[in-house]
Amino acid sequence: MEIFVLAFFALGYLVLGGQDIGVGMVLPYLGRTAGERREAIAAIAPFFLGNEVWLVATAGVLAGLFPTLEGELLSGNHAAVVALLAGWVLRDMGLWLRGRLPGGRWQAFWDGAVVAGSWVLALSLGTLLGGVLLGLAGPVGIVPAVVVAVLFALHGLAFAALRLRGTLRQRAGVLSGGAAEWRTYALTAAALVAVGVIAGTRLDLASGATSAFLAPVVAGLIPFLVAAQAWVWWTFRHRVSGPSYL
Amino acid sequence: MDAVELARLQFALTAGAHFLFVALTLGLATLVAIVQTRATLTGSRVHMRMTRFWGQLYVINYAMGIVTGLVMEFQFGLSWSGLTHFAGNVFGASLALETLVAFFIESTFLGLWIFGWDRLNRWAHLALIWVVTLTAYASAFWIMIANGFLQNPVGHRLVNGGLELVDFGAMVANPAALTAFGHVLSAGLVVGAFFMAGVSAWHLRRRTHEQEFFRKSLRLGVGVSLPALFLTASFGGVSFDSMQPTKVAAWVNSPERLAEAQAQMEAVHGPGDYLPPVGAVHAAGTVMMTLFAVMLLVSLVSVVLMAFRPAVLRLRPWHWLLTLMIPIPFVTTIAGWLFRELGRQPWAVFGLLRTSDAVSPLTRGQTLASLVVFTTLFGVLIVVNYWLLARTARRDPGTVALGASRTAETPEPALSY
Repeated sequence: MEIFVLAFFALGYLVLGGQDIGVGMVLPYLGRTAGERREAIAAIAPFFLGNEVWLVATAGVLAGLFPTLEGELLSGNHAAVVALLAGWVLRDMGLWLRGRLPGGRWQAFWDGAVVAGSWVLALSLGTLLGGVLLGLAGPVGIVPAVVVAVLFALHGLAFAALRLRGTLRQRAGVLSGGAAEWRTYALTAAALVAVGVIAGTRLDLASGATSAFLAPVVAGLIPFLVAAQAWVWWTFRHRVSGPSYL
Repeated sequence: MDAVELARLQFALTAGAHFLFVALTLGLATLVAIVQTRATLTGSRVHMRMTRFWGQLYVINYAMGIVTGLVMEFQFGLSWSGLTHFAGNVFGASLALETLVAFFIESTFLGLWIFGWDRLNRWAHLALIWVVTLTAYASAFWIMIANGFLQNPVGHRLVNGGLELVDFGAMVANPAALTAFGHVLSAGLVVGAFFMAGVSAWHLRRRTHEQEFFRKSLRLGVGVSLPALFLTASFGGVSFDSMQPTKVAAWVNSPERLAEAQAQMEAVHGPGDYLPPVGAVHAAGTVMMTLFAVMLLVSLVSVVLMAFRPAVLRLRPWHWLLTLMIPIPFVTTIAGWLFRELGRQPWAVFGLLRTSDAVSPLTRGQTLASLVVFTTLFGVLIVVNYWLLARTARRDPGTVALGASRTAETPEPALSY
């Protein structure tokens, strides 16, 4: 049960958080003007708060159920985790701050922060997954990092194709040919889940002493957490046709 | 500085930065929820506009609370794996519950509150801000349970050089955690109340045309500040009962008490230096108590003055005073936090694990690198966000973006083949 709980949140983050990371990575491609970029960001805006908490929850589950693994995984991949956090902070701040002032330069700067932050986030997640998956360290570790990052970018495109309209939707659908948007999304999501599952099988998943008590509590919470998220998905199930609050 | 000192500095700077934003979040969320309740129950237009204006400031502040909190969440495993290895089976449980029962819901529903402004039924929208507020409290609760365990470990046993949880109820009922939770929550209200009163006073001093808007806001802020100050002091006073003898000795700062506390610790833990940095702990406590007295005085005078409408609208020296008071609760909160955390040293888990044994096996260069990355990033972001917060607070409430009429999406099914 402990492993199921950890997998649920970690894989949930790769699929849901991966959408936001991917759209951030391909933002300059999707949005050629400031207005288009704002519309592209509206594709992820209502979701990104609810999506990034899946990684926070993953860290919480590690702290509660796998405290030894948490320490080894995070401190043992120090540079990748520091980069991950820095990229994450930069991406979030870019999203929050871009619309706070009207100036074109201000918005372009923070759009740049969204793109840079998303790439750093994707590459450091890739390094972390690659390091765990293949045990690669040093310059060779860049190869799996780039592969995973590209996967995030494709996943972002697939999600954007489901959310956007018109020209932006066409651009996002460049790889899927515009027809089977849901199938493309299912494919990129499945690929991310596969990477996550394979990396997970390489971890030393010996749970801690508290997990016998804590794991059932957490598992019992999952339906409520999913229901809360489903309310967000249902509220914003329609396609974007203009800018959002961000 | 060695690696331990650098890791402590990094933790102190990120936790301190996080706490600045969290304190205002706790207070402002409550005030926004109160105002939105009034707006929803009575259909009052001015209260709905107040909800949007104060809500906008709340959201700007909350965003910084999140990003600083992300680093906090990962920092335990990153820089303090000695602590997670030794005590993770006990205090990890409260960190896990914090992320799952509190932050996960808080963040999900806050997104719905912001982006679903005129897309949701107004009662559902009101329910969201209350859930966001209550989960912010729940978040503070579980964090204080974790912190309370580090201050006053209970409900555990030592097995094979690590701790195990044997009594979850005892951990949750830890007096060092519960008093601190009440103290932090009411301190957050003080921060939010002085913020609301000070910003309103700024507009009233400038003879704003939004008199009703800022008159009501000023009264709410001042009215909440006084009971919140009493609550903060009560919880703070009670918390001395469960405080470590070494911290109390540092606060009293008399040579006899310090020698006595040191001797007590030596009798249990063998020879060593068990006193916290006495000067710093004493200074932090003094700053906290002095500024509390200043706030109490200003709050008492303000509660009297706000009964007179001409004073609320026109008494400029008072307006100045309230605006200048905005930073004071922040400084007091940080001083209180320094008093609590510095006073625990040299222990990470009091009496069980020393801070020097709690750090991850990292090189000095690794810790220095992450310290530089986080300090630079947060230094810049804190300046930008406080500047934006001040800029937004000074603007006319009519210009607020939050809850502005819907432009984002039109309903059309996403399932189109």
